[in-house]
Amino acid sequence: MSAIPAKLAGYRETKLIDPFENFVGPIYDIGEKLERRYAFVVDERHVNLRGVIHGGMLMTLADMTMGQAAWDACDHADVVTLNMQSQFIRGARQGEIVEVQPVLTRRTRSIIFLRGDFMVGEEIIFSCASLWKILGQD
Amino acid sequence: MVDRPTGIPEDAEIASTGGFNKFVGPLYRLKDLEDGAVKRFAFAAAQHHMNGSGSVHGGMLMTFMDTSMSRTSRLISDAKGTATVSLTCDFVAPAKLGDVIESRVRVTRRTRTIVFLSCELVCGERVLMVGSGVWKISGAEG
Repeated sequence: MSAIPAKLAGYRETKLIDPFENFVGPIYDIGEKLERRYAFVVDERHVNLRGVIHGGMLMTLADMTMGQAAWDACDHADVVTLNMQSQFIRGARQGEIVEVQPVLTRRTRSIIFLRGDFMVGEEIIFSCASLWKILGQD
Repeated sequence: MVDRPTGIPEDAEIASTGGFNKFVGPLYRLKDLEDGAVKRFAFAAAQHHMNGSGSVHGGMLMTFMDTSMSRTSRLISDAKGTATVSLTCDFVAPAKLGDVIESRVRVTRRTRTIVFLSCELVCGERVLMVGSGVWKISGAEG
């Protein structure tokens, strides 16, 4: 576990299980269950040759945070991503903090609809809408 | 000679030269199909690409798709740079450790400022992910 960045006082490091998430992480969160808000600090690993965060990293962050919310929405049943729609609105640069509060659009017996606007300060840089399957539910 | 993961052809070129692509890579470019109409890339799923359920993480598959489609948008446009504006990914089937995952990218349309692309990720003939997206050509007016 690394130290919490000073700008994220009050946040905790999100517990990550997946090897790929630990490879690109950490991420931080504050709040409980579906009120959790997530934060991610862009560092030198995450940017492209122009110094701007890679689209793949933003989609990975979307999969990680929407996945946490999906898990919270179904009492930690097994869930898998079915679909991710992504809009790349602006860039984020190394050192900037990207934040998102996932929004539960709908939960049916087998499907969870989640969306999120990813912010740097007051500006939306990335937006996603995602579908999740709750495994074992028809 | 660089050691190639099993299943990556000897003549494949390294496509991940820096930044996040190099960090998550190596990613390779394969020979085109259909007289250049299909651009292809590949990577071999390693331990650090996985999720906790023993499948390749969705973020890595979307990263590979984005890189494959972005590279194709630059290859076909002669632009200095292009940027992903929108990408939609359907997660069709999981991939496993050691799988060689190949992308097949097609250009749907190219305008002066925009490239429309579609992409399939496959392992052998098994489809893992399908996607479509929109790229902006930088430097073009509008």
